[in-house]
Amino acid sequence: MDFAFLSVVDLGRLLRQKKASATELATYFLDRLERIGPRYNAVVTVTRERALAEATQADREIRQGKWRGPLHGIPYGVKDLFATKDYPTAWGAEPYRQQKFDIDATVVERLGGAGAVLVAKLAMVELAGGMGYNQANASFTGPGKTPWNTSYWSGGSSSGPGAAVAAGLVPFAIGSETSGSILTPAAYCGVTGLRPTYGLVSRHGAMALAWTMDKLGPLGRSAEDCGIVLQVIAGKDPKDPSSVAPHPLAPSPSRRGGTKWKIGIPKSADKDIQPEVATNFRAALKVLADSIDIVEDVELPDLPYGAVAGLIIAAEGASAFDDLLKDGRLSQLTAPEDRTGGYPALAVSAPDYLRALRVRRPMQRALDDFLKQFDALAVPTRNTVATPIDKPFRDGWPGITGGANVIGPTNVVGVPGVSVPNGFGVQGLPTGLSFAARAFDEAKLVTLARLYQSRTDWHTRRPPID
Amino acid sequence: MEISRRAFAEQLALMAAAPWFLEDAEPSQQQAQEPSALAKALAESVRLRYPDRFSADDLTAITRSIDSRLRAIERLYQTALTNADEPDFVYSVYRGAD
Repeated sequence: MDFAFLSVVDLGRLLRQKKASATELATYFLDRLERIGPRYNAVVTVTRERALAEATQADREIRQGKWRGPLHGIPYGVKDLFATKDYPTAWGAEPYRQQKFDIDATVVERLGGAGAVLVAKLAMVELAGGMGYNQANASFTGPGKTPWNTSYWSGGSSSGPGAAVAAGLVPFAIGSETSGSILTPAAYCGVTGLRPTYGLVSRHGAMALAWTMDKLGPLGRSAEDCGIVLQVIAGKDPKDPSSVAPHPLAPSPSRRGGTKWKIGIPKSADKDIQPEVATNFRAALKVLADSIDIVEDVELPDLPYGAVAGLIIAAEGASAFDDLLKDGRLSQLTAPEDRTGGYPALAVSAPDYLRALRVRRPMQRALDDFLKQFDALAVPTRNTVATPIDKPFRDGWPGITGGANVIGPTNVVGVPGVSVPNGFGVQGLPTGLSFAARAFDEAKLVTLARLYQSRTDWHTRRPPID
Repeated sequence: MEISRRAFAEQLALMAAAPWFLEDAEPSQQQAQEPSALAKALAESVRLRYPDRFSADDLTAITRSIDSRLRAIERLYQTALTNADEPDFVYSVYRGAD
Protein backbone atom coordinates (compact mmCIF):
# COMPACT_ATOMS: atom_id res chain seq x y z
CA MET A 1 0.00 0.00 0.00
CA ASP A 2 1.16 3.56 -0.73
CA PHE A 3 1.29 5.22 2.69
CA ALA A 4 3.58 8.09 1.71
CA PHE A 5 1.07 10.91 1.42
CA LEU A 6 -1.65 9.77 3.79
CA SER A 7 -2.57 12.07 6.66
CA VAL A 8 -2.13 11.26 10.32
CA VAL A 9 -5.89 10.81 10.46
CA ASP A 10 -5.90 8.31 7.57
CA LEU A 11 -2.90 6.37 8.88
CA GLY A 12 -4.52 6.17 12.31
CA ARG A 13 -7.66 4.76 10.74
CA LEU A 14 -5.64 2.05 8.97
CA LEU A 15 -3.96 1.13 12.25
CA ARG A 16 -7.23 0.96 14.18
CA GLN A 17 -8.84 -1.12 11.46
CA LYS A 18 -5.79 -3.46 11.49
CA LYS A 19 -5.25 -2.78 7.79
CA ALA A 20 -1.67 -1.76 8.59
CA SER A 21 0.65 -2.30 11.52
CA ALA A 22 2.91 0.25 13.18
CA THR A 23 5.91 -1.86 12.18
CA GLU A 24 4.75 -1.88 8.57
CA LEU A 25 4.40 1.92 8.61
CA ALA A 26 7.77 2.41 10.32
CA THR A 27 9.55 0.13 7.87
CA TYR A 28 7.88 1.85 4.93
CA PHE A 29 8.95 5.34 6.01
CA LEU A 30 12.43 4.24 7.14
CA ASP A 31 13.06 2.79 3.68
CA ARG A 32 11.77 5.95 2.06
CA LEU A 33 13.93 8.18 4.25
CA GLU A 34 17.03 6.19 3.29
CA ARG A 35 16.17 5.91 -0.40
CA ILE A 36 14.73 9.36 -1.16
CA GLY A 37 15.91 11.60 1.70
CA PRO A 38 19.39 12.24 0.25
CA ARG A 39 17.90 13.86 -2.87
CA TYR A 40 16.76 16.79 -0.76
CA ASN A 41 19.53 16.88 1.87
CA ALA A 42 16.64 16.39 4.26
CA VAL A 43 17.87 13.71 6.65
CA VAL A 44 20.67 13.63 9.20
CA THR A 45 20.02 10.32 10.98
CA VAL A 46 17.56 7.54 10.29
CA THR A 47 16.64 6.16 13.71
CA ARG A 48 15.90 2.62 12.53
CA GLU A 49 16.54 0.66 15.73
CA ARG A 50 14.57 3.00 17.94
CA ALA A 51 11.74 3.23 15.40
CA LEU A 52 11.35 -0.52 15.11
CA ALA A 53 11.40 -0.92 18.90
CA GLU A 54 8.74 1.78 19.34
CA ALA A 55 6.65 0.35 16.51
CA THR A 56 6.82 -3.16 17.98
CA GLN A 57 5.60 -1.80 21.30
CA ALA A 58 2.81 0.13 19.57
CA ASP A 59 1.67 -2.99 17.72
CA ARG A 60 1.64 -4.98 20.94
CA GLU A 61 -0.42 -2.33 22.72
CA ILE A 62 -2.84 -1.90 19.84
CA ARG A 63 -3.35 -5.69 19.71
CA GLN A 64 -4.13 -5.58 23.43
CA GLY A 65 -6.66 -2.84 22.90
CA LYS A 66 -4.56 -0.24 24.71
CA TRP A 67 -5.12 2.75 22.46
CA ARG A 68 -3.05 5.82 23.26
CA GLY A 69 -4.70 8.24 20.86
CA PRO A 70 -4.46 9.56 17.31
CA LEU A 71 -0.66 9.41 17.06
CA HIS A 72 -0.31 5.84 18.31
CA GLY A 73 1.86 3.97 15.82
CA ILE A 74 2.35 7.01 13.55
CA PRO A 75 5.94 7.65 12.33
CA TYR A 76 7.42 11.15 12.59
CA GLY A 77 10.70 13.07 12.35
CA VAL A 78 12.23 15.88 14.38
CA LYS A 79 14.50 18.72 13.38
CA ASP A 80 17.99 17.75 14.53
CA LEU A 81 17.94 20.26 17.37
CA PHE A 82 15.84 18.02 19.63
CA ALA A 83 17.84 15.89 22.03
CA THR A 84 17.27 12.16 21.69
CA LYS A 85 18.88 9.32 23.57
CA ASP A 86 21.19 7.07 21.58
CA TYR A 87 21.50 9.25 18.46
CA PRO A 88 23.64 12.33 17.80
CA THR A 89 21.96 15.74 17.92
CA ALA A 90 24.09 17.91 15.67
CA TRP A 91 22.16 21.21 15.37
CA GLY A 92 23.10 21.30 11.66
CA ALA A 93 26.58 22.41 12.64
CA GLU A 94 29.92 20.67 12.03
CA PRO A 95 31.28 21.46 15.54
CA TYR A 96 28.39 19.47 17.06
CA ARG A 97 28.31 16.61 14.58
CA GLN A 98 29.09 13.96 17.20
CA GLN A 99 27.17 15.61 20.06
CA LYS A 100 25.08 13.23 22.18
CA PHE A 101 22.60 13.72 25.02
CA ASP A 102 21.34 11.17 27.49
CA ILE A 103 17.82 12.60 27.52
CA ASP A 104 14.90 12.93 25.17
CA ALA A 105 13.57 16.45 24.68
CA THR A 106 10.16 16.97 26.29
CA VAL A 107 8.57 17.14 22.83
CA VAL A 108 10.04 13.74 21.96
CA GLU A 109 8.98 12.34 25.34
CA ARG A 110 5.42 13.55 24.84
CA LEU A 111 5.20 12.15 21.34
CA GLY A 112 6.61 8.86 22.60
CA GLY A 113 4.03 8.89 25.38
CA ALA A 114 1.33 9.26 22.74
CA GLY A 115 2.72 6.20 20.96
CA ALA A 116 4.27 8.02 17.99
CA VAL A 117 7.31 6.39 16.37
CA LEU A 118 10.49 8.44 15.83
CA VAL A 119 11.97 7.52 12.44
CA ALA A 120 14.44 10.34 11.71
CA LYS A 121 16.42 13.34 12.86
CA LEU A 122 15.95 15.86 10.07
CA ALA A 123 18.28 18.43 8.55
CA MET A 124 18.38 22.08 9.54
CA VAL A 125 20.28 25.27 8.91
CA GLU A 126 23.32 25.35 11.19
CA LEU A 127 22.47 26.72 14.64
CA ALA A 128 18.97 27.51 13.33
CA GLY A 129 20.39 30.41 11.34
CA GLY A 130 21.56 32.32 14.37
CA MET A 131 24.88 33.35 12.87
CA GLY A 132 23.36 35.29 9.99
CA TYR A 133 23.48 32.97 6.97
CA ASN A 134 22.52 34.49 3.63
CA GLN A 135 22.38 31.44 1.35
CA ALA A 136 20.85 27.95 1.25
CA ASN A 137 24.16 26.14 1.70
CA ALA A 138 24.41 26.65 5.45
CA SER A 139 24.44 23.18 6.98
CA PHE A 140 26.85 20.25 6.99
CA THR A 141 24.12 18.30 5.18
CA GLY A 142 24.23 20.75 2.25
CA PRO A 143 21.51 23.07 0.98
CA GLY A 144 17.98 21.91 1.71
CA LYS A 145 16.10 21.33 -1.53
CA THR A 146 12.37 21.59 -2.02
CA PRO A 147 10.94 18.39 -3.53
CA TRP A 148 8.98 20.50 -6.01
CA ASN A 149 12.14 21.59 -7.82
CA THR A 150 15.52 20.60 -6.45
CA SER A 151 17.24 23.67 -7.87
CA TYR A 152 15.41 25.67 -5.22
CA TRP A 153 15.65 25.94 -1.46
CA SER A 154 13.42 24.10 0.98
CA GLY A 155 13.44 27.11 3.28
CA GLY A 156 14.95 27.39 6.70
CA SER A 157 15.82 26.84 9.27
CA SER A 158 13.52 23.78 9.52
CA SER A 159 14.70 22.71 6.07
CA GLY A 160 14.55 18.95 6.66
CA PRO A 161 11.09 18.89 8.28
CA GLY A 162 9.66 20.90 5.37
CA ALA A 163 11.21 18.77 2.64
CA ALA A 164 10.61 15.44 4.41
CA VAL A 165 6.90 16.08 4.88
CA ALA A 166 6.56 17.35 1.30
CA ALA A 167 8.32 14.29 -0.13
CA GLY A 168 6.27 11.82 1.89
CA LEU A 169 9.26 10.71 3.97
CA VAL A 170 7.38 11.28 7.22
CA PRO A 171 3.68 11.97 7.90
CA PHE A 172 4.60 14.89 10.14
CA ALA A 173 7.66 16.52 11.67
CA ILE A 174 8.54 18.90 14.46
CA GLY A 175 10.42 22.10 13.66
CA SER A 176 11.34 25.27 15.48
CA GLU A 177 10.85 28.94 14.74
CA THR A 178 12.67 31.94 16.15
CA SER A 179 11.72 34.21 13.27
CA GLY A 180 10.17 32.38 10.31
CA SER A 181 11.75 28.94 10.52
CA ILE A 182 8.51 26.90 10.45
CA LEU A 183 6.36 29.06 8.21
CA THR A 184 9.04 29.63 5.56
CA PRO A 185 9.82 25.94 4.85
CA ALA A 186 6.09 25.19 5.03
CA ALA A 187 5.51 27.73 2.24
CA TYR A 188 8.53 26.74 0.15
CA CYS A 189 7.75 23.03 0.42
CA GLY A 190 3.97 23.22 0.01
CA VAL A 191 3.04 21.80 3.40
CA THR A 192 1.19 23.08 6.45
CA GLY A 193 3.19 24.60 9.31
CA LEU A 194 1.92 25.73 12.71
CA ARG A 195 3.97 28.06 14.90
CA PRO A 196 2.50 27.97 18.41
CA THR A 197 2.38 30.76 20.95
CA TYR A 198 5.70 31.21 22.76
CA GLY A 199 5.80 28.90 25.77
CA LEU A 200 2.94 26.66 24.70
CA VAL A 201 5.41 23.91 23.78
CA SER A 202 8.24 23.12 26.18
CA ARG A 203 11.74 23.96 24.94
CA HIS A 204 13.41 21.51 27.30
CA GLY A 205 15.96 19.49 25.35
CA ALA A 206 15.75 21.69 22.26
CA MET A 207 18.73 23.74 21.12
CA ALA A 208 18.43 27.33 22.28
CA LEU A 209 19.07 30.12 19.80
CA ALA A 210 17.14 32.87 21.58
CA TRP A 211 15.56 31.76 24.85
CA THR A 212 12.84 34.38 24.77
CA MET A 213 11.88 33.86 21.13
CA ASP A 214 12.25 30.14 20.28
CA LYS A 215 9.01 28.28 19.52
CA LEU A 216 8.52 24.61 18.59
CA GLY A 217 5.74 23.32 16.37
CA PRO A 218 4.55 20.83 13.77
CA LEU A 219 4.76 20.67 9.99
CA GLY A 220 2.29 18.28 8.41
CA ARG A 221 -0.01 17.44 5.53
CA SER A 222 -2.92 19.48 6.84
CA ALA A 223 -4.01 21.89 9.53
CA GLU A 224 -6.02 19.07 11.08
CA ASP A 225 -2.87 16.96 11.44
CA CYS A 226 -0.93 19.90 12.88
CA GLY A 227 -3.69 20.52 15.40
CA ILE A 228 -3.61 16.88 16.49
CA VAL A 229 0.16 17.00 16.99
CA LEU A 230 0.03 20.32 18.85
CA GLN A 231 -2.49 18.91 21.31
CA VAL A 232 -0.01 16.18 22.20
CA ILE A 233 3.11 18.35 22.56
CA ALA A 234 1.57 21.47 24.19
CA GLY A 235 1.40 22.20 27.88
CA LYS A 236 3.24 23.17 31.02
CA ASP A 237 6.54 21.40 31.67
CA PRO A 238 8.36 21.77 34.98
CA LYS A 239 11.63 21.42 33.07
CA ASP A 240 10.95 24.62 31.10
CA PRO A 241 10.05 27.57 33.35
CA SER A 242 8.82 29.56 30.35
CA SER A 243 6.28 26.90 29.40
CA VAL A 244 2.60 27.56 29.96
CA ALA A 245 -0.67 25.67 29.94
CA PRO A 246 -3.08 26.44 27.11
CA HIS A 247 -4.90 29.69 27.83
CA PRO A 248 -8.42 29.19 29.19
CA LEU A 249 -9.77 31.95 26.97
CA ALA A 250 -8.64 30.32 23.75
CA PRO A 251 -11.80 29.85 21.72
CA SER A 252 -12.92 26.37 20.81
CA PRO A 253 -13.82 25.78 17.18
CA SER A 254 -17.42 25.03 18.16
CA ARG A 255 -17.90 28.64 19.32
CA ARG A 256 -17.84 29.96 15.77
CA GLY A 257 -21.51 29.30 15.11
CA GLY A 258 -22.67 30.97 11.92
CA THR A 259 -20.70 34.17 12.34
CA LYS A 260 -18.17 35.21 9.75
CA TRP A 261 -14.46 35.42 10.47
CA LYS A 262 -13.11 38.95 10.56
CA ILE A 263 -9.84 38.94 8.66
CA GLY A 264 -7.42 41.86 8.53
CA ILE A 265 -5.25 42.27 5.44
CA PRO A 266 -2.14 44.34 6.24
CA LYS A 267 -1.42 47.27 3.98
CA SER A 268 0.75 46.29 1.00
CA ALA A 269 0.32 42.59 1.75
CA ASP A 270 0.20 41.75 -1.94
CA LYS A 271 1.86 44.83 -3.43
CA ASP A 272 5.16 44.56 -5.27
CA ILE A 273 5.46 40.83 -4.65
CA GLN A 274 5.74 38.04 -7.21
CA PRO A 275 2.58 38.25 -9.35
CA GLU A 276 1.71 34.57 -8.90
CA VAL A 277 2.04 34.88 -5.13
CA ALA A 278 -0.34 37.86 -5.19
CA THR A 279 -2.80 36.10 -7.48
CA ASN A 280 -2.86 32.99 -5.30
CA PHE A 281 -3.38 35.11 -2.19
CA ARG A 282 -6.43 36.87 -3.60
CA ALA A 283 -7.77 33.57 -4.98
CA ALA A 284 -7.48 32.05 -1.51
CA LEU A 285 -9.46 34.88 0.03
CA LYS A 286 -12.10 34.37 -2.65
CA VAL A 287 -12.38 30.70 -1.68
CA LEU A 288 -13.26 31.84 1.84
CA ALA A 289 -15.43 34.75 0.69
CA ASP A 290 -18.72 33.49 2.11
CA SER A 291 -17.13 32.84 5.51
CA ILE A 292 -14.99 35.92 6.09
CA ASP A 293 -15.37 39.66 6.32
CA ILE A 294 -12.21 41.33 5.05
CA VAL A 295 -10.81 44.55 6.44
CA GLU A 296 -8.30 45.85 3.91
CA ASP A 297 -5.15 47.90 4.47
CA VAL A 298 -4.86 47.48 8.22
CA GLU A 299 -1.66 48.86 9.70
CA LEU A 300 0.31 47.24 12.49
CA PRO A 301 1.35 49.60 15.31
CA ASP A 302 4.45 51.49 14.23
CA LEU A 303 7.04 50.01 16.57
CA PRO A 304 10.66 48.86 16.13
CA TYR A 305 9.96 45.14 15.73
CA GLY A 306 13.06 44.54 13.65
CA ALA A 307 15.40 46.35 15.99
CA VAL A 308 14.03 44.47 19.00
CA ALA A 309 14.19 41.08 17.27
CA GLY A 310 17.66 41.72 15.87
CA LEU A 311 19.10 42.73 19.19
CA ILE A 312 17.47 39.95 21.20
CA ILE A 313 18.50 37.21 18.78
CA ALA A 314 22.03 38.60 18.47
CA ALA A 315 22.58 38.92 22.21
CA GLU A 316 20.89 35.69 23.27
CA GLY A 317 22.43 33.77 20.37
CA ALA A 318 25.92 35.01 21.17
CA SER A 319 25.43 33.94 24.77
CA ALA A 320 23.89 30.57 23.87
CA PHE A 321 26.90 29.79 21.67
CA ASP A 322 29.56 31.65 23.65
CA ASP A 323 31.70 28.49 23.70
CA LEU A 324 31.89 28.52 19.90
CA LEU A 325 32.83 32.19 19.87
CA LYS A 326 35.40 31.78 22.59
CA ASP A 327 37.26 28.80 21.16
CA GLY A 328 36.90 29.82 17.53
CA ARG A 329 34.94 26.78 16.35
CA LEU A 330 32.58 29.11 14.48
CA SER A 331 35.22 28.79 11.75
CA GLN A 332 34.04 25.20 11.20
CA LEU A 333 30.54 26.27 10.10
CA THR A 334 29.53 25.67 6.50
CA ALA A 335 28.41 29.12 5.34
CA PRO A 336 31.35 31.56 5.22
CA GLU A 337 29.19 34.39 6.59
CA ASP A 338 28.28 32.24 9.62
CA ARG A 339 31.96 31.96 10.55
CA THR A 340 32.07 35.64 11.52
CA GLY A 341 28.35 36.33 12.00
CA GLY A 342 28.35 35.84 15.76
CA TYR A 343 31.16 38.24 16.61
CA PRO A 344 29.36 41.55 16.08
CA ALA A 345 27.02 40.59 18.92
CA LEU A 346 29.98 40.87 21.30
CA ALA A 347 29.58 44.62 20.83
CA VAL A 348 25.96 44.66 22.00
CA SER A 349 25.77 46.44 25.34
CA ALA A 350 23.79 45.05 28.24
CA PRO A 351 21.68 48.24 28.56
CA ASP A 352 20.78 48.03 24.86
CA TYR A 353 19.71 44.39 25.21
CA LEU A 354 17.64 45.25 28.26
CA ARG A 355 16.16 48.21 26.42
CA ALA A 356 14.95 45.79 23.74
CA LEU A 357 13.35 43.60 26.41
CA ARG A 358 11.70 46.65 27.99
CA VAL A 359 10.37 47.90 24.66
CA ARG A 360 8.92 44.46 23.99
CA ARG A 361 6.41 44.87 26.86
CA PRO A 362 4.48 47.84 25.38
CA MET A 363 4.99 46.20 21.98
CA GLN A 364 3.15 43.08 23.17
CA ARG A 365 0.25 45.14 24.48
CA ALA A 366 0.03 47.27 21.35
CA LEU A 367 0.06 44.28 19.04
CA ASP A 368 -2.50 42.43 21.16
CA ASP A 369 -4.79 45.48 21.11
CA PHE A 370 -4.35 45.53 17.35
CA LEU A 371 -4.91 41.80 16.83
CA LYS A 372 -8.00 41.66 19.03
CA GLN A 373 -9.87 43.64 16.37
CA PHE A 374 -9.72 40.60 14.09
CA ASP A 375 -10.04 36.84 14.22
CA ALA A 376 -6.80 36.71 12.25
CA LEU A 377 -4.50 38.58 9.90
CA ALA A 378 -3.98 37.06 6.46
CA VAL A 379 -0.87 37.53 4.32
CA PRO A 380 1.12 35.63 1.70
CA THR A 381 3.58 33.66 3.83
CA ARG A 382 6.50 34.84 1.67
CA ASN A 383 6.60 37.45 -1.05
CA THR A 384 8.20 35.02 -3.52
CA VAL A 385 8.43 31.30 -4.12
CA ALA A 386 11.56 29.51 -2.91
CA THR A 387 14.91 31.06 -3.78
CA PRO A 388 17.50 29.26 -5.93
CA ILE A 389 19.99 27.18 -3.96
CA ASP A 390 22.99 28.55 -5.83
CA LYS A 391 22.53 32.27 -5.14
CA PRO A 392 22.63 34.55 -2.10
CA PHE A 393 19.07 35.19 -0.94
CA ARG A 394 19.19 38.84 -1.99
CA ASP A 395 19.98 37.81 -5.58
CA GLY A 396 17.34 35.07 -5.72
CA TRP A 397 14.44 37.14 -6.96
CA PRO A 398 15.88 40.60 -7.59
CA GLY A 399 13.45 43.47 -7.70
CA ILE A 400 10.83 41.84 -5.49
CA THR A 401 10.73 44.24 -2.57
CA GLY A 402 7.12 44.35 -1.41
CA GLY A 403 4.73 42.62 0.91
CA ALA A 404 3.82 43.12 4.54
CA ASN A 405 6.16 42.00 7.28
CA VAL A 406 4.02 39.95 9.66
CA ILE A 407 6.44 37.10 10.40
CA GLY A 408 8.84 39.48 12.17
CA PRO A 409 6.44 41.34 14.50
CA THR A 410 4.42 38.23 15.41
CA ASN A 411 7.61 36.35 16.28
CA VAL A 412 8.97 39.15 18.45
CA VAL A 413 5.86 39.12 20.64
CA GLY A 414 5.40 35.35 20.39
CA VAL A 415 1.90 35.01 18.95
CA PRO A 416 0.90 32.03 16.78
CA GLY A 417 0.75 31.63 13.01
CA VAL A 418 -0.11 28.99 10.46
CA SER A 419 0.89 28.60 6.81
CA VAL A 420 -1.04 26.50 4.31
CA PRO A 421 -0.25 25.84 0.64
CA ASN A 422 -2.43 27.92 -1.68
CA GLY A 423 -1.16 27.25 -5.19
CA PHE A 424 1.95 27.35 -7.34
CA GLY A 425 4.11 30.07 -8.81
CA VAL A 426 7.09 30.21 -11.13
CA GLN A 427 9.19 27.08 -11.70
CA GLY A 428 6.35 24.93 -10.36
CA LEU A 429 7.11 26.07 -6.84
CA PRO A 430 4.43 26.27 -4.13
CA THR A 431 3.14 29.43 -2.49
CA GLY A 432 1.78 29.85 1.04
CA LEU A 433 -1.09 31.62 2.76
CA SER A 434 -0.57 32.61 6.40
CA PHE A 435 -2.90 33.50 9.21
CA ALA A 436 -1.69 35.06 12.47
CA ALA A 437 -3.72 35.67 15.59
CA ARG A 438 -3.60 36.64 19.27
CA ALA A 439 -1.66 34.61 21.78
CA PHE A 440 -3.19 31.19 22.47
CA ASP A 441 -5.59 31.40 19.53
CA GLU A 442 -4.18 28.24 17.92
CA ALA A 443 -7.63 26.61 17.88
CA LYS A 444 -8.95 29.52 15.88
CA LEU A 445 -6.05 29.36 13.41
CA VAL A 446 -6.36 25.61 12.94
CA THR A 447 -10.11 25.91 12.39
CA LEU A 448 -9.66 28.68 9.84
CA ALA A 449 -6.93 26.76 8.03
CA ARG A 450 -9.06 23.60 8.04
CA LEU A 451 -11.94 25.55 6.55
CA TYR A 452 -9.66 26.65 3.71
CA GLN A 453 -8.32 23.14 3.19
CA SER A 454 -11.85 21.69 3.16
CA ARG A 455 -12.47 23.79 0.05
CA THR A 456 -9.15 23.33 -1.76
CA ASP A 457 -6.81 20.50 -2.63
CA TRP A 458 -3.44 22.28 -2.67
CA HIS A 459 -2.40 20.45 0.49
CA THR A 460 -3.00 17.08 -1.19
CA ARG A 461 -0.78 17.76 -4.23
CA ARG A 462 2.35 15.63 -4.56
CA PRO A 463 5.74 16.73 -5.87
CA PRO A 464 7.28 14.81 -8.77
CA ILE A 465 9.27 12.22 -6.84
CA ASP A 466 9.07 8.77 -8.40
CA MET B 1 13.43 52.56 -4.31
CA GLU B 2 13.33 55.32 -1.74
CA ILE B 3 13.95 54.13 1.76
CA SER B 4 14.00 56.13 4.96
CA ARG B 5 16.90 55.99 7.36
CA ARG B 6 14.61 54.50 9.97
CA ALA B 7 13.22 51.87 7.61
CA PHE B 8 16.71 51.02 6.45
CA ALA B 9 17.87 50.51 10.03
CA GLU B 10 14.79 48.40 10.66
CA GLN B 11 15.51 46.26 7.62
CA LEU B 12 19.10 45.73 8.61
CA ALA B 13 18.03 44.65 12.06
CA LEU B 14 15.54 42.23 10.59
CA MET B 15 18.24 40.93 8.30
CA ALA B 16 20.31 40.13 11.35
CA ALA B 17 17.37 38.36 12.91
CA ALA B 18 16.31 36.44 9.86
CA PRO B 19 18.65 36.99 6.96
CA TRP B 20 16.48 35.21 4.43
CA PHE B 21 13.77 37.69 5.24
CA LEU B 22 14.91 40.59 3.14
CA GLU B 23 15.11 40.21 -0.55
CA ASP B 24 14.88 43.98 -0.56
CA ALA B 25 17.83 44.79 1.64
CA GLU B 26 19.79 47.65 0.20
CA PRO B 27 23.33 46.36 -0.23
CA SER B 28 24.39 49.37 -2.25
CA GLN B 29 23.44 51.72 0.57
CA GLN B 30 24.98 49.35 3.05
CA GLN B 31 28.24 49.45 1.15
CA ALA B 32 28.12 53.16 0.53
CA GLN B 33 27.77 54.37 4.11
CA GLU B 34 31.00 54.75 6.00
CA PRO B 35 30.73 52.98 9.37
CA SER B 36 30.62 55.30 12.34
CA ALA B 37 33.63 55.90 14.57
CA LEU B 38 31.81 54.05 17.35
CA ALA B 39 31.25 51.04 15.11
CA LYS B 40 34.93 51.02 14.19
CA ALA B 41 35.94 51.27 17.83
CA LEU B 42 33.61 48.44 18.84
CA ALA B 43 34.90 46.29 15.99
CA GLU B 44 38.41 46.97 17.22
CA SER B 45 37.34 45.74 20.67
CA VAL B 46 36.21 42.49 19.07
CA ARG B 47 39.55 42.22 17.27
CA LEU B 48 41.44 42.80 20.49
CA ARG B 49 39.59 39.90 22.13
CA TYR B 50 40.76 37.58 19.37
CA PRO B 51 43.78 39.28 17.76
CA ASP B 52 44.80 36.39 15.50
CA ARG B 53 41.40 35.30 14.31
CA PHE B 54 40.18 37.71 11.64
CA SER B 55 41.18 38.66 8.13
CA ALA B 56 40.77 42.21 6.85
CA ASP B 57 37.58 41.15 5.06
CA ASP B 58 36.25 39.59 8.25
CA LEU B 59 36.83 42.81 10.14
CA THR B 60 35.13 44.83 7.44
CA ALA B 61 32.06 42.59 7.67
CA ILE B 62 32.06 42.74 11.46
CA THR B 63 32.38 46.55 11.42
CA ARG B 64 29.50 46.95 8.98
CA SER B 65 27.31 44.61 11.00
CA ILE B 66 28.01 46.51 14.20
CA ASP B 67 27.31 49.79 12.43
CA SER B 68 23.97 48.50 11.13
CA ARG B 69 22.93 47.36 14.57
CA LEU B 70 23.91 50.66 16.17
CA ARG B 71 21.65 52.48 13.74
CA ALA B 72 18.80 50.06 14.44
CA ILE B 73 19.26 50.56 18.17
CA GLU B 74 18.50 54.26 17.74
CA ARG B 75 14.86 53.33 17.24
CA LEU B 76 14.69 51.54 20.56
CA TYR B 77 15.33 54.84 22.28
CA GLN B 78 12.53 56.57 20.37
CA THR B 79 9.97 54.41 22.17
CA ALA B 80 9.00 56.19 25.37
CA LEU B 81 9.63 54.20 28.54
CA THR B 82 9.50 55.12 32.20
CA ASN B 83 11.57 53.89 35.11
CA ALA B 84 8.68 51.51 35.90
CA ASP B 85 8.86 49.76 32.52
CA GLU B 86 10.66 46.53 33.32
CA PRO B 87 12.20 43.98 30.95
CA ASP B 88 9.77 41.27 29.91
CA PHE B 89 11.23 38.61 32.13
CA VAL B 90 10.55 37.93 35.77
CA TYR B 91 13.24 36.83 38.18
CA SER B 92 11.94 34.25 40.64
CA VAL B 93 13.66 33.71 43.96
CA TYR B 94 14.50 30.11 44.80
CA ARG B 95 14.20 28.22 48.06
CA GLY B 96 14.92 24.51 47.97
CA ALA B 97 13.48 21.76 50.11
CA ASP B 98 14.32 21.88 53.86
